[in-house]
Amino acid sequence: MAVISARSTAKSTGRRRVRRPGRLVAEIITVVVAGIVAFPLYWMVLSAFKPAGEIQTANPKPWTLAPSLDSFQRVLTVSGFGRFFVNSLVVALAVVVLSLLLSFLSAVALTRFRFRGRTVLLVMILVAQMVPVEALTIPLFFLMRQIGAVAPAFGLNELGSLVLVHLAFSLPFAIWMLRGFVAAVPVELEEAAKLDGASRMRFTWQILFPLVAPGLVAVSVLAFIHAWNDFLFAKTFIISKTENQTLPQAILVFFKPEETDWGAVMASSTLMTIPVLVFFVLVQRRLVSGMSGAVKG
Amino acid sequence: MRVRRTFTAISVSAALALLAGCAPTQSAPAASGGDDQTGTLRVWLFDEASRAPKEAAVKEAITEFKAAHAGVDVDVQWVPVEGRADKFSGAFNDPANAPDVAEFGNTDVASYAQTGALSDLTGDISSWSEGKDLLPSVLDTAKSGGKTYGLPWYTGIRALYYRTDVFTELGLKPPATLAELTDDARKIHAAKPDLYGISTGGKYTYALLPFVWANGGDVAKQDGGKWTSTVESAQAKAGITAYANLLKDDICPPAACANLTGTQSVTAFAGGKAGMTIGGDFNRKAVEQGAVKGKYAVVPLPGTTPGSVAPAFAGGNLLGVFGASKRHGLAVQFAELLAGAKYQEKMYNAMGNLPTLESVQKKLAASDPTLKPFVDTLAAGTKFVPSTPGWSKIDSQNVLPTAVQQIATGGKDVDGALADATAAMNKNFG
Amino acid sequence: MVTQQLPVAVPAPPAPRRARRRRDGRAALLYLLPAGILLAALLVYPIYQLVLISFYDYGQPQAAGAAPLVFLGFDNYAALLQDVQFWTVLAKTVGFAAACVVGSLVVGTALAVLASRVRAVPRTLLFLAALGAWSTPAIAGSYVWLFLFDTDFGLVNEVLSGIGFTGMAHHSWTFGTFGAFGLVAAEVIWCSFPFVLVTMYAGIKAIPAEVLEAASLDGASMWRSTWAVVLPMVRPLLMIATIQSIIWDFKVFTQIYVMTNGGGVAGRNLVLNVYAYQQAFAGQEYGLGSAIGVVMTLLLLSITGLYVRSQRRSTAWL
Repeated sequence: MAVISARSTAKSTGRRRVRRPGRLVAEIITVVVAGIVAFPLYWMVLSAFKPAGEIQTANPKPWTLAPSLDSFQRVLTVSGFGRFFVNSLVVALAVVVLSLLLSFLSAVALTRFRFRGRTVLLVMILVAQMVPVEALTIPLFFLMRQIGAVAPAFGLNELGSLVLVHLAFSLPFAIWMLRGFVAAVPVELEEAAKLDGASRMRFTWQILFPLVAPGLVAVSVLAFIHAWNDFLFAKTFIISKTENQTLPQAILVFFKPEETDWGAVMASSTLMTIPVLVFFVLVQRRLVSGMSGAVKG
Repeated sequence: MRVRRTFTAISVSAALALLAGCAPTQSAPAASGGDDQTGTLRVWLFDEASRAPKEAAVKEAITEFKAAHAGVDVDVQWVPVEGRADKFSGAFNDPANAPDVAEFGNTDVASYAQTGALSDLTGDISSWSEGKDLLPSVLDTAKSGGKTYGLPWYTGIRALYYRTDVFTELGLKPPATLAELTDDARKIHAAKPDLYGISTGGKYTYALLPFVWANGGDVAKQDGGKWTSTVESAQAKAGITAYANLLKDDICPPAACANLTGTQSVTAFAGGKAGMTIGGDFNRKAVEQGAVKGKYAVVPLPGTTPGSVAPAFAGGNLLGVFGASKRHGLAVQFAELLAGAKYQEKMYNAMGNLPTLESVQKKLAASDPTLKPFVDTLAAGTKFVPSTPGWSKIDSQNVLPTAVQQIATGGKDVDGALADATAAMNKNFG
Repeated sequence: MVTQQLPVAVPAPPAPRRARRRRDGRAALLYLLPAGILLAALLVYPIYQLVLISFYDYGQPQAAGAAPLVFLGFDNYAALLQDVQFWTVLAKTVGFAAACVVGSLVVGTALAVLASRVRAVPRTLLFLAALGAWSTPAIAGSYVWLFLFDTDFGLVNEVLSGIGFTGMAHHSWTFGTFGAFGLVAAEVIWCSFPFVLVTMYAGIKAIPAEVLEAASLDGASMWRSTWAVVLPMVRPLLMIATIQSIIWDFKVFTQIYVMTNGGGVAGRNLVLNVYAYQQAFAGQEYGLGSAIGVVMTLLLLSITGLYVRSQRRSTAWL
């Protein structure tokens, strides 16, 4: 975050409004809002560290004097939690890498090339984003079964099937977003590269690809979250192979009305949130510019 | 303009594709499996209120099984009873990835048989040394269309659990009629607001049914092979209303109870949160290990007149073998091990449920007085849900629980809720 | 590979523009092919199947291949449109989604404007918090909110009863229709406003400083310059954020499924997506479930279509 803020301070808000009386009020409001937004997360982490007696109590306190790792221990000793974690990570990373490559290529084709049917494709990509994917569970289920007969690694019960569906669902939005970003790269650059004798392929990968990096970051964030969050497809596709389940199922183990182990639920939620947070922090400097890139088209 | 043209193009091509009209995909009829002697045997068992004892007994069986079969591993997945429908749907739709052995309730036999995914075990049972010991009436519940689809594992009979300490303190006696039960529950909640008078959730169909039957009603009747709903009959209405009245602020506040399932209702009682509950023989050990240990007793659920017993639901769980199992022989052997006398007894010790083998049941009933209320209930006569595939759908669509919830929360009046239920039931009966 | 299948011996086109178009077409095909195959197989084909299934009596025996298929035509749709529950669920879905969309847009945009006017430290805090909320997986977020609002162990009830609302001591937030929807909507807004915030903030930052300076030199107040200068300039962005929010919030599944325990008491907190899922998978009515899916897609399409159309004049969106 520091980068965004440092840069933007220097750039715009600047000294111009230093004397504005309203600004202090605005800043106080900002900090309060930030506190409210962050509170559920704080509560999640706090509850994960609270000792057993302090969680299920009618007088919850917003701090703990005796942090304990008991809840994490309960979570991690559940058979397969580590395995589920790795499964989720493998699926999400595979989706990110593949969707970056595929959506980049498509975005280039849709913005830099003139050909018939371009508009049709664009509309279809927009339409594709509106399909309620939950409704597609039924046909996808049967499709995966058929695919499994040919390529077992992508059939039901396998992580490959999850990679495929999430890839398919991330692509339309990824293409949609990258499109604006690719369009923002001046055409003159391509002409110049061509004059220098660079092939189109080389231009695309060696010049264009790095230039749209912020857009790629935004896309990868969303693809990661999408795949990481999935609950329904993992639940439906992984029928009987326990070892191929993903994280959400691990949390469900602890959530049972009337006897919910809230400490464990919060600890597993914390563990599940960390990778996404790490991913965000790694890419955050590019995120804001990535978002704005999406619009310049 | 361009956009509109595009949309037209898309819709036209979609329409054309439809006209070309090939049918949607179906699974190939369940492929016959194999008879491998090694590998991982995948087993689905139901999750229970406080699963640990059941899990321990099953683990013991697995250890024994693995010792007898080199190169075999057994992977158990615990399926929540309420979420079983989508889980089993998945297995039926993709037999290749279905488990090898699965526990399922006898109410689902007709509908599961219809999918053709389960093996007919008639031959296996007749060649099984302990097969002749199975109680014939219990074995009947595993049959559909003359074929047997599961090994009866245990019988589930529900009775009334109540808190002896609370009843003594408030000077109450175990209720002799359902009306008395309601009064007692109200008194308990009034005297101890922290306790539900009786914890019977809105999604607890098998606690609801005895109320309907005790009032002389039923949920459906069969005429010449066709089932029709009878929940709007005066008797059934009386029973459902009586049950819904338990889910009121003065007994079991709907905010907490309307969404409780059977397992959760029992868990609440075991956790010391209720004065009474309707629980099964298979819940006894869970309650025994809960906060109410030593402070509860069990009696048959009373009927409408003093001295009568409300007909209980003749529940029971079976162990089925999937037809597509690549390890059919192993699967049958594992099911037979679990359903055999040794592990029926261990399961009884773990959970307290009634065995399905006559010799084991007799031996245990003679030695263990805690079984008495359940055996008495059994002896007083039990009833069963409509044995038709439609019932599974009615069950998984929560038709009756929805009606109860609507009545309890005032979302609809009794007549309106039951009219909806009748329509939904008749649609599913076909 | 595919280029080879195309007629290679094409005579040189007369006009250079057509040549470029043809060359482009081939390259585009190559570039689009990987994504195209994937989308055709995993999105277009399933949609086609979905529509197809919606015309059949497609239950569990049919799906398992143990019973013949019966073509119903529009019967599933007719049954759906006659079903009172469907209309109730539809109305609730629209209301719920609208609340979530408006909520995330208002909160996100307001905070973006705010963030553009404060110094680095408070802004960094705000963005950190927002990124945290954004990165919380739906299922984890649902549980945290459920826990905060838990009947017996929740902080919210404790605080409310502590400051005098004693009636809230054991209030169940997930029981009442509005309470449950409100709680879920709050969670959805919490985790979806950061997208709007980041997008809008990026847009505001992209406005040339001179424009804002000019506005302030003209004596425009902060409120007025936001309303009259900033918002019109970020309108294309706002449209993208709106479309995305509509698409996402209309399809909320996990939160409703988890937080209201599958649709609330007697299904009164169902939204279309969960309703379709339950009809299909729990109720074993795949045909009917598919019909709901089709209706939902059409509905989303027309809502976004109308919106895009109303905004088209001001944005070159294609």
